Amino acid sequence: MDSRAQKPALEPQPVDKSRFEELTLPYLRALFALALRLTGDATAAEDLVQETYLKALLAFPTLRDPERTRSWLFRILSRLVTDRHRTSSREVAGCEPDELDRFSLYDLIADEDPFPYSERLHDEFLAQFRDAEVRRALMALPEIYRVPLLLLYAEGLSYRELADVLECPVGTVMSRLHRGRKILERELWECAKRRGLVKTWNKRNH
Amino acid sequence: MEQKKPLSCAEAVREFFAYLDRALEGEALESLEAHLQACLDCCDRLSFSRSFDDFVKTRVGDAPLPEGMEKRIRRAIGG
Repeated sequence: MDSRAQKPALEPQPVDKSRFEELTLPYLRALFALALRLTGDATAAEDLVQETYLKALLAFPTLRDPERTRSWLFRILSRLVTDRHRTSSREVAGCEPDELDRFSLYDLIADEDPFPYSERLHDEFLAQFRDAEVRRALMALPEIYRVPLLLLYAEGLSYRELADVLECPVGTVMSRLHRGRKILERELWECAKRRGLVKTWNKRNH
Repeated sequence: MEQKKPLSCAEAVREFFAYLDRALEGEALESLEAHLQACLDCCDRLSFSRSFDDFVKTRVGDAPLPEGMEKRIRRAIGG
């Protein structure tokens, strides 16, 4: 058979825009929420979402399974972000896997014992953080951990859907979520030290 | 029959979040549950991991769409 006969035409295929809108616009809010939590800025987030929609429109003919529209859109958005800041899991400063693995916020709080008579020591410790501090701690996470963590926490994606978004095996999703949470625990501990909520640095350095 | 080695506390802790996300199954789930039945300390740690998750979930915050954004997106994609 003449291979040229199967060659796609140079003209892009006409896209059924109303079908595109019908499938993708229901996820606009979720895409904006992710973009906002990745960029930390509403204008930058809107730009990112717009770029995502334009890319998605071009790639629409390649969407095989409409059931997976949500993870397909998240994938396009997160690729746009990670392509901009190429960080591999090895490049994360100060988080050697072993060191991070040993980090335990649970133990640090228990050792520090900031509420000596409390029966809910750990919960009371967490309750001291302001929303903005938690959001800042999340912002400190490299995108490869932040994207799955946010999609899990805010959108409730399953590990399988996350694997689809991140284009990696479920086992990798599992380890990224574990590491992401550990880095977040560590960021919150650092924040507690800066705010003087704990005195550990005194004990260690004096 | 070969007996599977019981999980150490360090190994168990590494599985907590996957357990809380209901992503563990089969042998991995059984080993963790067996460890939790025998280790009170890990039960406390697991309970902290659950609190930590709930804490972050409630603090991630809402992100309402900016006014007119849907219209702007429709315009950008030429709809």
